[in-house]
Amino acid sequence: MLHVKDLTAAIGDKQILNGLDLDVGAGEVHAIMGPNGSGKSTFAHALAGRDGYEISGVATLDGVDLLEMTPEARAAAGLFLGFQYPVEIPGVNNMYFLRTALNSVRKARGDTEIGARDFLAVAKEAMDLVEMKQDFLNRAVNAGFSGGEKKRNEILQMAVMKPRLAILDETDSGLDIDALRIVASGVNALRDPERSMIVITHYQRLLDYIKPDFVHVLVNGKIVQSGDHTLALHLEDHGYADYVNHDLDDAPDRPLAGAAS
Amino acid sequence: MTIDSSPSTDSRLVALDRIDAIGYPTKRDEAWRHAPHRLLAGLTFGPPVESPSDVPTDLESRIPSLDGPRIVVVNGIVDAARSDLAGPGGVRVSTLATVLAEHPEHLAQHFDRADEDVVDAFIALNIAYGDDGAVVEVAAGVTLDVPIHIVDVTVPGTAQNASCTGVVITLGAGSSATVVETRIGDGTSFGGSNIRTTVTLSDDSTLEHVVIQDVPPAQVHLGRVDVTQHAGSTFKARSFNLGAAYGRVAYDVRLVGVGATAELSGLYFGLGEQVLDQQVSVTHDAENGTSRQTYRGVLDDASVGVFAGGIDVRPGADGTDAEQSNDNLLLSMRAEVNTQPRLEILADEVACKHGATVGQLDETALFYLRSRGIPVDEARRLLINGFADRAVDDVGIESVRTWILHRLGHSDE
Repeated sequence: MLHVKDLTAAIGDKQILNGLDLDVGAGEVHAIMGPNGSGKSTFAHALAGRDGYEISGVATLDGVDLLEMTPEARAAAGLFLGFQYPVEIPGVNNMYFLRTALNSVRKARGDTEIGARDFLAVAKEAMDLVEMKQDFLNRAVNAGFSGGEKKRNEILQMAVMKPRLAILDETDSGLDIDALRIVASGVNALRDPERSMIVITHYQRLLDYIKPDFVHVLVNGKIVQSGDHTLALHLEDHGYADYVNHDLDDAPDRPLAGAAS
Repeated sequence: MTIDSSPSTDSRLVALDRIDAIGYPTKRDEAWRHAPHRLLAGLTFGPPVESPSDVPTDLESRIPSLDGPRIVVVNGIVDAARSDLAGPGGVRVSTLATVLAEHPEHLAQHFDRADEDVVDAFIALNIAYGDDGAVVEVAAGVTLDVPIHIVDVTVPGTAQNASCTGVVITLGAGSSATVVETRIGDGTSFGGSNIRTTVTLSDDSTLEHVVIQDVPPAQVHLGRVDVTQHAGSTFKARSFNLGAAYGRVAYDVRLVGVGATAELSGLYFGLGEQVLDQQVSVTHDAENGTSRQTYRGVLDDASVGVFAGGIDVRPGADGTDAEQSNDNLLLSMRAEVNTQPRLEILADEVACKHGATVGQLDETALFYLRSRGIPVDEARRLLINGFADRAVDDVGIESVRTWILHRLGHSDE
């Protein structure tokens, strides 16, 4: 479904992705883990089409070249990015935003637009999934939402948009255990043989709830190791110290030659 | 500026003399610094000339449709055929010309201004020539549940291209009312309107006063609202400064009674080469008054926005709580905004805050919307509307809110 080959991304002189390769098959859930600054969020934003990066390499979704497309065209092609920091948009009603989004992609795909009444049924189903109340839809997009509410709103949008490929960027960050459970069960309910997911996370904790088929370690803009979910458990125990050029302070678990007196 | 001298009362003669004394505003007058003086100089004023055929045929589609009494003023003269003065009990809606003839003493506050109150030539011109318009008098203790609509139409004529209208609103103690002033015009020729509104709020009365300035792009609009607030009264001003080559909405609000509240909010939305000017002055002259100035501007193309917000806290006005904010969204490299707070505090235990922002569309928000499949133009529109519509939320009457959103092209459907 998603094919990424030798992807590079830079902002000005700063190279962030250094030849990233990744293939995601239909229905698969891939976790990408890595230390801070390894390029996880850049990868997500580059795939979604954010301005400001110089990009080279290949990224296709269902054989269609993503890299030449606008962000809105990528969404219409079935890509969804769940933001690490969902943006507050005061003055724009959440319900109106959701319906505009859904109808924009329907229109781009040549489908008929969905009316206000029918949309309410779609929204209701999605709200139940993330345990949201009706008044959520009447508020401005993310404005004044708690961290947990913002992340639930992301999953709500995903449930409405029904993407082919969802990239969830640090969806677990800033969540307490209850919110994490709700978000994860929402994500699990959306798992489907025809829908793939890339779950980006710094911590293994999320993967207790969303069990990935594959785990990749991203360091310095490249995937340096891939494995099954046990790789995440290994990382939990050992950190990223095995992969990064570190100074001694970063690796307290290792016996330090000459350090013991 | 050319002036035809045929004033009909003493105060008007005095007003015309006053123009000679103070002269015409120039770039050096702070309150007129950003005005296009070349356009102002082209305005010609005189006694109103009746020409009923000038009323646009599509009038009804260009103004909000409201229940309640309505006065339509065309080029400074009330159009009786299009007006309906009958109101519910407790309110009297009259033409200004009628009250001037029968009860001129009711209009003392409006016409007999002290010299220091006639701060510019346009006030003097309005005193001299604005002898028709609307008078709204609400009796003590009455709560009106329908708004009163004052529609001003300017169609520049040949005798003179500018007209003057007067509006006088007086609320009795403990009463409550909403007045909507919609200002439009017709035609593509140059001209202007000079509308002066005098509001007197008795103890514990509440007025919501909406001004919609939507005159044609060839015209100049000079609007001015002078407000006197007695103890415990509340004045809610909502201005929408949208039309005109130069659109000016000025407020001079004086809290003379203890514990009065003034809430002023406004939106200006500029396109082309429009200059949209808000001159707001709030004077706290009694204890424990509260005032809020909340103005938002959206400036596209080569338009210019001006916000000059003054807060004066006079000696003795202790316990004053005053705030002012002005937020601007610039949509074009050529657009410009001038924002200027002016605070003078001469009392004790005063809480006074002010802040201004000037920004562009948030790129992160734009990407967020686009990542949800919303095309870039639509995403921009959503963000602009989201910014502007918060000023619309302040309006109490739903049909007015709906009309403004429609006018801005922001309707959800």
